[in-house]
Amino acid sequence: MASAAKRLEAVYGTATPQIAFDGVTLVLGGKTIIENLSLGVQPGEFLCIVGASGCGKTTALRLAAGLYQPTSGKVNFDGQPMREPRREIAIVFQDYGKALLPWRTAAGNVSLALEAGGMPSAERPARIEELLRTVGLPGHAGKYPSEMSGGMQQRLQIARCLAQEPKTLLMDEPFGALDAMTRQGLQDEVLSLVAASGATVIFVTHDLDEAIYLGDRVIGLLPHPGRIGIELSVNLPRPRDQLSTREHPEFLRLRRQLFDFIKATEQ
Amino acid sequence: MNRAAIIWRVASFAVAAGFVAIWQLIANLKLVSPVFLPGPDRAWAALMRGFSSGDLWSKLAGTLEHMAYGWLAASIAGIAIGAIIGSSSRMRTYVAPSLEFLRPLPVSAIIPVAIAMLGLTQAMALFVIAFGAIWPIMLATIHGFAAVEPRLYEVARSLQMSRLAVIFKIALPSASPDILAGMRLSLTVALILSVVCEILAGLDGLGHWVLLSARAFRSADLFAGVILLGLTGYVTSVAMSLAEHRLLAWQAAQR
Ligand SMILES: Nc1ncnc2c1ncn2[C@@H]1O[C@H](COP(=O)(O)OP(=O)(O)OP(=O)(O)O)[C@@H](O)[C@H]1O
Ligand SMILES: [Mg+2]
Repeated sequence: MASAAKRLEAVYGTATPQIAFDGVTLVLGGKTIIENLSLGVQPGEFLCIVGASGCGKTTALRLAAGLYQPTSGKVNFDGQPMREPRREIAIVFQDYGKALLPWRTAAGNVSLALEAGGMPSAERPARIEELLRTVGLPGHAGKYPSEMSGGMQQRLQIARCLAQEPKTLLMDEPFGALDAMTRQGLQDEVLSLVAASGATVIFVTHDLDEAIYLGDRVIGLLPHPGRIGIELSVNLPRPRDQLSTREHPEFLRLRRQLFDFIKATEQ
Repeated sequence: MNRAAIIWRVASFAVAAGFVAIWQLIANLKLVSPVFLPGPDRAWAALMRGFSSGDLWSKLAGTLEHMAYGWLAASIAGIAIGAIIGSSSRMRTYVAPSLEFLRPLPVSAIIPVAIAMLGLTQAMALFVIAFGAIWPIMLATIHGFAAVEPRLYEVARSLQMSRLAVIFKIALPSASPDILAGMRLSLTVALILSVVCEILAGLDGLGHWVLLSARAFRSADLFAGVILLGLTGYVTSVAMSLAEHRLLAWQAAQR
């Protein structure tokens, strides 16, 4: 475990990572899902996690959220052990349809986070309007989730997460169920939202291109049990651009490297 | 309302009118002795007479009162107990067998017990009505609370919502379609048991009116009471449906 801390120090100097996994092992139902995972995420970093289906990406994210407690090892947030979920850490779930309250309108769903944060009701409408505008849903405040498209529902979930004013944003394949065009639009929106708020992001995806396009760093997990198999720094200029970034030689090199890694794990 | 709905509505009125006409015909032809079966004309006249003398109003008020108190008590207790049992899977496994034993027990079986303990009183009626009406509400609430989307509890956890906030902002609204459906079923149960209790305990209400009319062979009055009971059941159930419709407007959007 000390070695992990040393490695982090070597990479980042002595800065405290915002989220630190220190030799984390998680056993669920007698099965080791994650084994000896050490990982530090710096404040403001955009970390992407990729890996074959069932390798433990979601589980790692749930550990970072405090929804699971490690069987052994530690998960720290800002240097403090994480005992339970906290408002500074927001999660965007893949299944937006289940994560929204169907009986509340778009405004009501955003309001839920503001209520939980103790914002006085007089201040909420203005803030709700602002957040819905930020995610590109102005004028949809009165709609129920069921009256919105998948892309709009996912935007709404992101708005609710932003309402938490999170220091860390955890996203579990947030665009997995959306079509390619909607997906690219949302990728750029997330990048600009994150740039504006300075939040730290852990982003899980199946899509290797998406991981490289978004991330400062990409981690590939190996399955059974889940552990780190590859770690790539993405030195692509920001702001990223859907056309030029994806044609960048560095992008193509990383893509090849990641692709070979995933192919090897699937055999 | 679209054309098809209007046609259905007209057709259902035509059927009802047909039944009244057949009833009138049977009465006119004296197929059944008028002592037992008055025609709709006589039943209607008795209804009007009862209202203008004020007798029926007070009987109706009595029945509505028994029904409302019993139903409200059942709703409050049923939702509270159902919420406690439904929100914990351990409670469900422990309590479910006892519920399965108590639930099929006919309410009529506990009436003698209630009479022995509370006498022929309003309290006995309240207890019996509430006991009978609690089941649909409680079972629906248990089901509704058990079926809350687990993802929503995770959302609540990551928002660090208080226990109370989770119950009132997540679990109750999520279970509300089930709860309201249970409350609608209970409404009918409460009406039936109000009448039964009034008959058994001689409490002021339509049940008592019907009983006295039958004993005195005043068949027109008897039918007036029965018609009024039918109307009470119909109107309360329609009112409940309207309330459901309003409260669950978000579900209409879902379909
Ligand atoms: N509560 C649990 N109990 C037992 N095993 C579990 C539990 N949750 C997940 N697993 C197992 O842990 C492994 C990792 O699951 P996880 O959901 O983290 O994978 P994933 O990488 O997110 O997969 P996908 O890409 O399909 O979303 C799987 O083999 C899964 O069956
Ligand atoms: Mg997953």
